[in-house]
Amino acid sequence: MTDLPANESDERFLEEPIIRVRNASKAFGAVKALRNVSLDVYAGEVIVIIGPSGSGKSTLLRCINRLETVNSGEIWVEDVQVNNPKCDINRVREEVGMVFQSFNLFPNLSVMGNLMLAQTVVRKRNRAEAEQIARRLLIKVGIPEKADVYPAKLSGGQQQRVAIARALAMNPKIMLFDEPTSALDPEMIKEVLDVMLDLAKEGMTMVVVTHEMGFARAAANRIIFMDQGEKIVETTPIELFENPQHDRLKQFLGKIL
Amino acid sequence: MAQMNPEIAAPKPFFDGRSLTRNIIQRRSWFIAFILIDIFVLYSIANNQELIEAWDYIVVGIGVTVQITILSFVISIIVGLIVALGRISKNIIIYNISTLYVELFRGLPLLVIILIFAFVVTPALVDLIAGTETLPGIPFLDNIIQNIVGIDPAVIETTTLRARDINPVVRIVFAFAVTYGAFMSEVFRAGIESIGRGQMEAARSLGMNYVEAMRHVILPQAIRNVLPALANNFILLLKDTSLASVVAVPEISHLTRQYASNRFRYPEGLLILSFIYANVTILMSLGVIYLEHKLQQDKHDD
Repeated sequence: MTDLPANESDERFLEEPIIRVRNASKAFGAVKALRNVSLDVYAGEVIVIIGPSGSGKSTLLRCINRLETVNSGEIWVEDVQVNNPKCDINRVREEVGMVFQSFNLFPNLSVMGNLMLAQTVVRKRNRAEAEQIARRLLIKVGIPEKADVYPAKLSGGQQQRVAIARALAMNPKIMLFDEPTSALDPEMIKEVLDVMLDLAKEGMTMVVVTHEMGFARAAANRIIFMDQGEKIVETTPIELFENPQHDRLKQFLGKIL
Repeated sequence: MAQMNPEIAAPKPFFDGRSLTRNIIQRRSWFIAFILIDIFVLYSIANNQELIEAWDYIVVGIGVTVQITILSFVISIIVGLIVALGRISKNIIIYNISTLYVELFRGLPLLVIILIFAFVVTPALVDLIAGTETLPGIPFLDNIIQNIVGIDPAVIETTTLRARDINPVVRIVFAFAVTYGAFMSEVFRAGIESIGRGQMEAARSLGMNYVEAMRHVILPQAIRNVLPALANNFILLLKDTSLASVVAVPEISHLTRQYASNRFRYPEGLLILSFIYANVTILMSLGVIYLEHKLQQDKHDD
């Protein structure tokens, strides 16, 4: 992962950013989902992206591992230009874990099967090694007893923790979270956020789209506020919550806080 | 081909004694009636010399019927799976070729395709191999044989191979396979499209390529979803093998026609034929019901 510990202050690292987004634009037909967005993410940082729905947060996240392609601009992950059609996107995706709002566990596989599939298929680990890693991660996300259960038998919070473990099993350098708690009942949100907070403390580079302002306040190095496809504000949590400058940001915070 | 939907029994794993009886009466009376008819027909056959003769004459064709059914089914599943992947392909050439195939072979009646295979394709292939020229206006066939297949047509004696020397099962299997391949591909395509986009995204986000994601994530779920539809197609295919009788493939329908017209015993022959088809398909239908029941249960168990 990273040589440097997570930096609590806003001080930028001297090294190159691990993710570079340059003037990214994306339109779905007539709808402009991203307008000229630029963003740097450094190793070990936790970036939280907030904003009203339809503001392009998820699109930006999905462009980073090319689940969507940008129409113009550049996106780099380490030394690979992701939006170049010739790049080996599968190699990038091995290093970039993603957690979805709707979990997307494989329903035909047990929890263990979910955790081991990509390890054996993509990372070419043998079964014993993959199983060992999977069991360790299940302990880490707090549900070792669910190893042989099928996803449909799990609660939403448990499913999302399995999904996080599944992404972590690939030993990614970066984790992308696309509204990981939005589909959860309130009492399950905390168990997922706790796992994410632990990850942040361990120094994982994370880009998180969320409406959980508590998490943003506690874990984010920087918060990005987006509206109508534009990056409006990029600042520290303290600055953003204590002293919001922008009108649209004030409006948004007024509605949700 | 008439579409047939086998009745789906309500999936209930356990019954107490009284509701079991009620359930059997309500949901299984059709089957009891079928068994009673079956026993009556069997009894008639056993006590009627003419029916026994018909039975002995016709029943030898079951092997051919089953062979055609199983071979065509296996080939059509392979064809269907490949074409289904072509139908969802983003490659416009692959998409259009597979769509053309599906539309063409779904549009032609199976009987017509059987006739084409029996009277056009097979003779043409035989001539190609034997090197005789029977297709007027296609002289380049000889060139193909000489230059590509590497056989000098003059060397081969034309009498060595004829259409009738080719195993009738092989002769007809491809007609069924291409037709059912077109239908199967639509079944598979529906199955693949029934799997949410998130599954593919999750697999791809873990670094799997398209083929790996298809093989390990999408297809296992898709095939499971379409198993009842596949089994249903198997029953349809089994019944459609009766069409092979028009080109003298010795399956049970053909043998029945032979038997009946030779001895003017149509009622006897057709009774035996219906008896065989009905019993084989009912067994298959029970299999389908069991399969659906089991899949339903698995879903609850998951």
